[in-house]
Amino acid sequence: MSDIKIKSKNLNVYYGNKQALFDVNLDLNEKEVTALIGPSGCGKSTFIRCINRMNDVIDICKVTGNIEIDGIEINSKELDVVSLRERVGMVFQKPNPFPKSIYDNISYGPKIHGKGESKNELDEIVENSLRKAALWEEVKDRLNEPGTGLSGGQQQRLCIARAISVNPEVILMDEPCSALDPIATAKIEELIDELKKTYTIVIVTHSMAQAVRVSQKTGFFHLGKLIEVGKTEKIFKNPDNKMTQDYITGRFG
Amino acid sequence: MTKEKRLKKRHNAEKRFRFYGLASIFLALLFVLILVQNIFSKGSSAFMKTAINVTVFYDPELLGVKNGATKDEILEADFFDITIDTLLKTFPTNNLDEENQLIDLFTTDAELEIKNALINNSNLLGKTVSLEITSSDDIDQLHKGNYPRDLPEERRRISNFQLSIYDNFLENKKIIKNFNNYFFKNGDSRDPEIAGIGGALVGSFYSILICLLLSFPIAVLASIYLEEFAPKNKITDFIEININNLAAVPSIVYGLLALQILLATIQLPRSTPLVAGITLALMTLPRIIIPCRASLKAVPPSIREGALAVGASKFQSVFHHVVPLALPGTLSGTIIGLAQALGETAPLILIGMVAFVVDIPSTPIDPSSSLPVQVYLWSESAERGFVEKTSATIMMLLSFLIVMNFLAVYLRQKFEKRWN
Repeated sequence: MSDIKIKSKNLNVYYGNKQALFDVNLDLNEKEVTALIGPSGCGKSTFIRCINRMNDVIDICKVTGNIEIDGIEINSKELDVVSLRERVGMVFQKPNPFPKSIYDNISYGPKIHGKGESKNELDEIVENSLRKAALWEEVKDRLNEPGTGLSGGQQQRLCIARAISVNPEVILMDEPCSALDPIATAKIEELIDELKKTYTIVIVTHSMAQAVRVSQKTGFFHLGKLIEVGKTEKIFKNPDNKMTQDYITGRFG
Repeated sequence: MTKEKRLKKRHNAEKRFRFYGLASIFLALLFVLILVQNIFSKGSSAFMKTAINVTVFYDPELLGVKNGATKDEILEADFFDITIDTLLKTFPTNNLDEENQLIDLFTTDAELEIKNALINNSNLLGKTVSLEITSSDDIDQLHKGNYPRDLPEERRRISNFQLSIYDNFLENKKIIKNFNNYFFKNGDSRDPEIAGIGGALVGSFYSILICLLLSFPIAVLASIYLEEFAPKNKITDFIEININNLAAVPSIVYGLLALQILLATIQLPRSTPLVAGITLALMTLPRIIIPCRASLKAVPPSIREGALAVGASKFQSVFHHVVPLALPGTLSGTIIGLAQALGETAPLILIGMVAFVVDIPSTPIDPSSSLPVQVYLWSESAERGFVEKTSATIMMLLSFLIVMNFLAVYLRQKFEKRWN
């Protein structure tokens, strides 16, 4: 059993008057893939956006409760959100490469964090990140071409490489395959399997099959509440909660 | 209603709509065509001027200088006598009245033209040379065919005697048409043949430059702040509404504001490009802020999130990603705002740019005119020569506007990044 990397305690999130998360208590293990499932609007994305404080961007969003990474509270005012996001990378639902070259897409993060002072170091980071994202072989001859010119699946792997480039500890993935075809999806899933050796991964997905394939732990959300969490095998074979049972067998959602 | 009837009705409605659309486009094009044709037919002749070939003897005695005089001495010399002498030699006259009529065929600047020829080449002193002296406005218009010569003499500005001189000159091939450099390099004048848009061009250039220097940075920073950093609350809503209102305020109101604050209170110099530039900047600011904000808004939020997610600060995500992506739209919005400012007349009239200024301004705090005000001034003048000059100035103004608008479109298309 691995150590706990991220721990949320009584996490509540409000968008204006609407409460999106209710007292979520969820522990995420280090170097493991945790899948979050549940119907649309149930708060899965809201939850992972709390882990890198992406919700700060939304004016009306208010977060109460605690999230600890390695035992350190991240919701505190003193914590520099930039250094948090350096440690917690994120991959979004729709591939969102910068409209710049492939090289610049990857080197941007290291540059602003002062990693890779020389051109050689940067080149190395770019190559390593692309290799880890299993994209290097496909793009090594056209690093100066725009990242937006790649196919959807390649763009998403580029975004994963971009997240890896700053060497984070945690990678959050918000439905990373929902805009991709099955072949590209398979590639990303393979990649996730590889990445979990190095990183703690949290993935939000609508595909039950995907959750089974990639994750070791699964959490089921419904209407802003964490209904059930446990080992993926157990959740899908023998859930404790009736609602979880109904959802994974496709009776609602 | 049967199915066929309904189908027919629908088809007819579509046909009618197509017809209305085509008709309105055709009508609009027709008006543009009439406008352009009108301006061109009136204005194109202003780019040529009529000159009369005369023979000048640079008599040192008459000029009161020694043979081999230096440039400074020539500058000091009085060219009045030599000018009268030269012009009177072009045609035999019998009395003072006829002499005056003959001299009136030439520009009032004939003396200056004769003087400048000698200043440019002091070797001409003591020699006889042939010079092209610009004709008077009346002869210019007559030669260009803009002046009806079949009117009775008392209703004509050109007497029968002058007409006979003109015909004689024409016969002897003394009348020449050449490029009207005065139109571009001279300032305004009461005499149409030597009036030019040089002063207005420089005045407009300074005004627009000051307008750009003031409005562009303020507008861009204001829109970045409002769009990216300002909290969304009642105050920013109020500011946003008022920016939109300001963009719709009639320009003359800005003129009144400038009159009261810049001229009456701060006492900046009247009629100057400096005041014009500040006034136009006030007017242009909201007109630039609106497209700037629109182009910032058009940058997809996913780009901002992508930058934030790799650990860029808010500031970095805005200035490394959002602003460069919004720049083409920002620039083209600015250029279009400046093009509007370039054609603006009303506020400039209020701040005194409508004054008659002969000198070409050398700094932005010299009194000056501007292109649209020059159009306004000349369109009110009685002389025939100003009609073509008005149209020619409009042509210049329009060509600047077209160039600026093309530049705006080009910038937007060339540098606009696409994302999926």
